[in-house]
Amino acid sequence: MIETRRLSKSYGAVEALREVTFTAAPGRVTGFLGLNGSGKTTTLRTLLGLSRPTSGEALINGRRYRELRRPLREVGAVLEQGVAHPGLTGRGHLRTQAPLAGASDARVKQVLEYVGLAGAARTRTGEYSLGMRQRLAVATALLGEPPVLILDEPANGLDPAGVAWLRGLLRSHAAAGGTVLLSSHLLGEVELLVDDVVIIAGGEVRLAAPLAELAGEPRLRVRGGDPRVLWEAFGHAGAGLEVAEDGATLLVAGMTPSRPATSRWPSRCRSTS
Amino acid sequence: MIAVLRSELSRTLMIRASWVSIAATIALGLTFGVFSADFWTLFAGIGAFGLAVLTTGQHYQHRTAMLLMLGEPRRWRLLIGQGVAAAVVATVTTALSGLTVSDEAAQWRLTVAMTPIIAVLGVAVATVVRRPTWALAGTAGWLLIAEGLLGKLRAPLPFTAYLNAATGDSRQLLILGAWTAVALAGAATMIRRDLVSH
Repeated sequence: MIETRRLSKSYGAVEALREVTFTAAPGRVTGFLGLNGSGKTTTLRTLLGLSRPTSGEALINGRRYRELRRPLREVGAVLEQGVAHPGLTGRGHLRTQAPLAGASDARVKQVLEYVGLAGAARTRTGEYSLGMRQRLAVATALLGEPPVLILDEPANGLDPAGVAWLRGLLRSHAAAGGTVLLSSHLLGEVELLVDDVVIIAGGEVRLAAPLAELAGEPRLRVRGGDPRVLWEAFGHAGAGLEVAEDGATLLVAGMTPSRPATSRWPSRCRSTS
Repeated sequence: MIAVLRSELSRTLMIRASWVSIAATIALGLTFGVFSADFWTLFAGIGAFGLAVLTTGQHYQHRTAMLLMLGEPRRWRLLIGQGVAAAVVATVTTALSGLTVSDEAAQWRLTVAMTPIIAVLGVAVATVVRRPTWALAGTAGWLLIAEGLLGKLRAPLPFTAYLNAATGDSRQLLILGAWTAVALAGAATMIRRDLVSH
């Protein structure tokens, strides 16, 4: 369970976060969405004790990160697309992290296999591709078997296969009762993954709701020479129709490029782009 | 804290550049020790300081400081863990590198006792400066100008005190200790800074 209460952070005169309040519940994947510079990373780093808030609280399981007795056994973090000393092998990196996470050598081996890096375990991390570094970062986060996972733009640099792999991993983690909070600036990327959405802009939370409430049916705005003709034509094709605020644009729903036309268009119609 | 110590020590042994540096320090120290005990003492001090600065500074350079801070969010414990690790490495390295200084047993003992303190000073400096290149260059400048040219190796400054203490004047240990304590206090304050992302 992750919770922020009126979390604020200022860097001198710049207010990076203003009274950010939201919750990420266990058993669900929460997507923390916002443009670059909106405050996502600042919020996550405050949750993880890497930055101090100016006011307010960032709590994990009811306590601040610095108060957690064995933090790596409660929270796993994937930040900055994986950091590792380039001279260490993947296995070596995890073995130096293991004492901090209270993990055994057997756990290191297990986690390497789980993320698909068993074959690259003896390669130096300096030679890893971005996808491999990301997998290593996930492995590092999972070492302590933490119920809570916090990820900052984890899909950056992953190819579609990598994104699918990560999606599967995070969904099973949530299904097993864990809490997952990930940040992203692309809704499309996380649509298939998240249950709840928190939208942040300009350092403030603008919306916190389940994804289902957010997603409506997509609609197309259409403008043409004669709206009534268009209305007829679309109506014959079986689309759902509404008039937009300006009184001249149509909002058309329920059509896809592959849907066959069920009527012939009147010759007076011109297509507009 | 113990976890930090174990993590740091295993890193030191696993990173090739790291144990190569230690091996080179030992080899060079053994060579110098054959010719002059004093020169060995000087070299051991610089070596211990340099290794500590590199080990600590690399965490900030490669961003792995983030992993340490996630593992041990109470920063003063992190600093102590790093200090102890650097002290252990310095003690072992100096002890081994001084094996050729056979006839100056007292100096060997003193030097081996002093280098951990210099190593802790190195950890403190690297924690404040966070960039090994700057820390080393700054120290070299300090040594040349402040301690060498201005202090003429007789002023109550840290490296001067180290040299004098290791070569017999054990009261100078207090001066070295005082400088290290001040540096540690500074490091303890600075380590609490926010760790910023790229």
